[in-house]
Amino acid sequence: MPAFLSALLREPLVHFVVLGAALFAVYGALDRDRADAPVAIVVSRGQIEHLTIGFSRVWQRLPTAGELDQLIRDHIREEVYYREAIAMGLDRDDTVIRRRLRQKLEFVSEDIAALAEPSDGDLQAFLSSQPERFRTEPRFTFTHVYLNPERHGDRLAGDAAVLLARLKTAGARADVSTLGDRFLLPTSFDSVSGSEIGRQFGEPFARAVDDLAPGEWHGPVESGYGVHLVLVSARTEGRLPALEEVRDAVRREWENAQREKVNEALYQRLLARYMVIIEQPKAAGAGDNPIGIAER
Amino acid sequence: MKNKPLQHTIGVVVSAASLALPALAPAQVSTPGLGAPDKEQAERGHPAKRPYSPYAGRDFPTRPFFGDTHLHTAYSMDAGAFGARLGPRDAYRFARGEEVTASSGQPVKLSRPLDFLVVADHSDNMGFFPDLFAGKPEVLADPTGRKWYNMIQSGKGADAAIEIIVAFSQGTFPKDLMYFPGTRAYRSAWQETIAAAEAYNEPGRFTAFIGYEWTSNTGGNNLHRNVIFRDNGDKASQVEPFTVYPPMGSDNPRALWKWMAAYEEKTGGNVLAIAHNGNLSNGTMFPIIESFTGQPVDRVYVEQRAKWERLYEATQTKGDGEAHPFLSPNDEFANFERWDKGNLDGSVAKKKEMLEFEYARSALKTGLKLEQELGTNPYKFGLIGSSDAHNGLSALEEENFFGKTTPQEPSAHRMTTAFFENDKSGVKVMDWEVSASGYAAVWARENTRASLWDAMQRKETYATTGPRMMVRFFGGWDFESKDAQSRTPAVIGYTKGVPMGGDLQDAPAGKAPTFLVAALRDPIGANLDRVQIVKGWLDAKGQAQERVYDVVWGDADKRKPGADGKLPPVGSTVDVANATWTNTIGDPELITVWKDPDFDAKHPAFYYARVLEIPTPRWTAYDAKRLGAKPLTGTSMTLQERAYTSPIWYTPEQ
Repeated sequence: MPAFLSALLREPLVHFVVLGAALFAVYGALDRDRADAPVAIVVSRGQIEHLTIGFSRVWQRLPTAGELDQLIRDHIREEVYYREAIAMGLDRDDTVIRRRLRQKLEFVSEDIAALAEPSDGDLQAFLSSQPERFRTEPRFTFTHVYLNPERHGDRLAGDAAVLLARLKTAGARADVSTLGDRFLLPTSFDSVSGSEIGRQFGEPFARAVDDLAPGEWHGPVESGYGVHLVLVSARTEGRLPALEEVRDAVRREWENAQREKVNEALYQRLLARYMVIIEQPKAAGAGDNPIGIAER
Repeated sequence: MKNKPLQHTIGVVVSAASLALPALAPAQVSTPGLGAPDKEQAERGHPAKRPYSPYAGRDFPTRPFFGDTHLHTAYSMDAGAFGARLGPRDAYRFARGEEVTASSGQPVKLSRPLDFLVVADHSDNMGFFPDLFAGKPEVLADPTGRKWYNMIQSGKGADAAIEIIVAFSQGTFPKDLMYFPGTRAYRSAWQETIAAAEAYNEPGRFTAFIGYEWTSNTGGNNLHRNVIFRDNGDKASQVEPFTVYPPMGSDNPRALWKWMAAYEEKTGGNVLAIAHNGNLSNGTMFPIIESFTGQPVDRVYVEQRAKWERLYEATQTKGDGEAHPFLSPNDEFANFERWDKGNLDGSVAKKKEMLEFEYARSALKTGLKLEQELGTNPYKFGLIGSSDAHNGLSALEEENFFGKTTPQEPSAHRMTTAFFENDKSGVKVMDWEVSASGYAAVWARENTRASLWDAMQRKETYATTGPRMMVRFFGGWDFESKDAQSRTPAVIGYTKGVPMGGDLQDAPAGKAPTFLVAALRDPIGANLDRVQIVKGWLDAKGQAQERVYDVVWGDADKRKPGADGKLPPVGSTVDVANATWTNTIGDPELITVWKDPDFDAKHPAFYYARVLEIPTPRWTAYDAKRLGAKPLTGTSMTLQERAYTSPIWYTPEQ
């Protein structure tokens, strides 16, 4: 044995290294059989705090010692199953897990999109690009007299004409409280929007009211219920609002548009990181590429 | 005697109005209805002089608000697993009348907006979403954060997102941008649910309620409840929703009620819970014997249930829950959109003895019995309908039905597949059996969270199976037939009686309850066949009885009850092949005053109105016509849509 070697073998450091290597090998062998070498599950103070906060947010009080113990035990049980399941690959090929993860990643881009602060210029541009969407509705003050087709039958048109003549004579001050037939909706409406009229009478009636010249009786106007004689006493035109009047709505819609834009752009960027190869099913027709991704 | 019911109305109005005060101290708000009325309420309570104009000072609801209290989005784990892609924001946008792209890629829009919506995602597994910039001020303090922030602000959000994702996967995400010790930066889906409702809530125009579904389902038996907040995000965000799985949650409704009480006490807010799908509970929804203990329900159970569960969802996509033909053999309309094969997962088949504890009408009867024993009626609920759709789309019209789940969005094959099938129990439900139903109608004074919620709390609501018919229903002692001729039936209704959801007491000697009922069809819907009043009562032996009265009907000039007292059917104009019908039968409006001909002042009773439309094509007929789908043998192709009002209860003096 060369002198330098025997000197080396007497070095405590070398003993230590050799011993360490041997131990490492033994542990390595043991680690292949994990039942013999427990892996740590550390329930950190932070996690305990997290469990405690979670409980108190549900129950509006702190957990008792026993409840906290239960929470921790349940957390450990879940962690054990989680790790084993991941090790077994149980997360793969599971539609629920795949979709959930996709959803979470999409949420990342939504979260990022939500960080964008629109300037007044952004909002103004958005408003100007689709003004009709934010236009205020015309509003109507009107009175109507209802004729129920069930009660008038063939005489409906004639009865309506007679009544209309009477109303035209009486004009805007006509007392309608006893005219026409009983009706469950109110007789007069004060400054209601066209869409509200549409909801209560049907869209065609709302459009017809929009076309009536104010100040005189018109009719018969058809609704979902029958025919009406209508006096529009006042109308306020719809208009394009200034940004200040509709800022909340514009901002909400701007954010929604951003969200959709960033989501789609992110997907395209992520997709660009992959080479997608679609193998054609044997029976599929040539040129049938419904998802628009290049075949390679 | 006339002001007896009026005083009762006042009681209801005052209790509701006191809830409408936003600034009450928490302690006061936690006992709804007990706050002292302010001056305005006090005056409303004593309308000594009614002004000449019947509309002046009118403070009762003039039209019902229509909405859905039970819609799931992609945040519900099962909905997401089914492929739903729309989240709460999309759901609110759609309900407000915007066109959206359904998860199946099809454009979809409502015929007209809804007035309100509750996104009620399952609280269990609602989950956490990444919240990378939770501490927003720190974003700017960190150089990398600032760089990303600037990229986002200059319209390069997608580029920033890519960098952030790469940073995460390579472990280089700045540590200063993460929050909780020991955890990543996540925020609960609940917080985002609240944020979505806050963004789309617009008082006076559209109400976006904050809510969730507590999904107790032990053994596959459906005991689900939707929890609806009266409050805004400041209060709702102080809690996390109650879940089912232990140790945090429980499957017992008693625990949910405790959670509700804790929320109200701590925050001064208000919540109510609405159960649904008793038809899938296998006899456990409206118990006499609690399934959790095997013991009879006790005083605590009946009081708590009556307190927290003011409404029941009587119709939805998974079947109608008003009545069952086995329980109501004399009711020819009880067999409607029936789902009675088993429990929710089909693991246990239905037995006839379960039915009594599953359907609304039967539960209303059970409630009268329990009140005799325990002093409180636990099943004194009002009625609403809702969707339980799992695709973020509250689209329940037959001709615009977007299904219950994403795979059930319109396609040529959605009528022919199985919704679920259990080989062991033999329970199989086909997709064509899914019902395009329903909506909640709420008689509120204004379209706000507070006003709508208060109307729900006082049960001034009704269920519809999809159409938006308007239904008024008042009970009192003095309605006369000429009241039905009035130009202002609502004024008379509120003046002389109580609205749906109310109570009648102190029967004047020799008098029977009278009811003013009126219905106006959906302006774009079908005519009405008839209005019925359903009465349930306890007889002299304490046995529960029921009877359905036809009280007013369409085509009355040529349609008379036969010798057996039965009204002939209204007929049908449905052309199934073309999926059309005409309003040439039935009436657009029906109104009458009805007096109970069989009243006995000693017997407790309830009365509710059921309004039937003339037959129209079912969604399956529209699918067959538009998509060329071939219906399976036995598929229902027509239906009579309907509305169920909340009952009015009569309670004899003790």
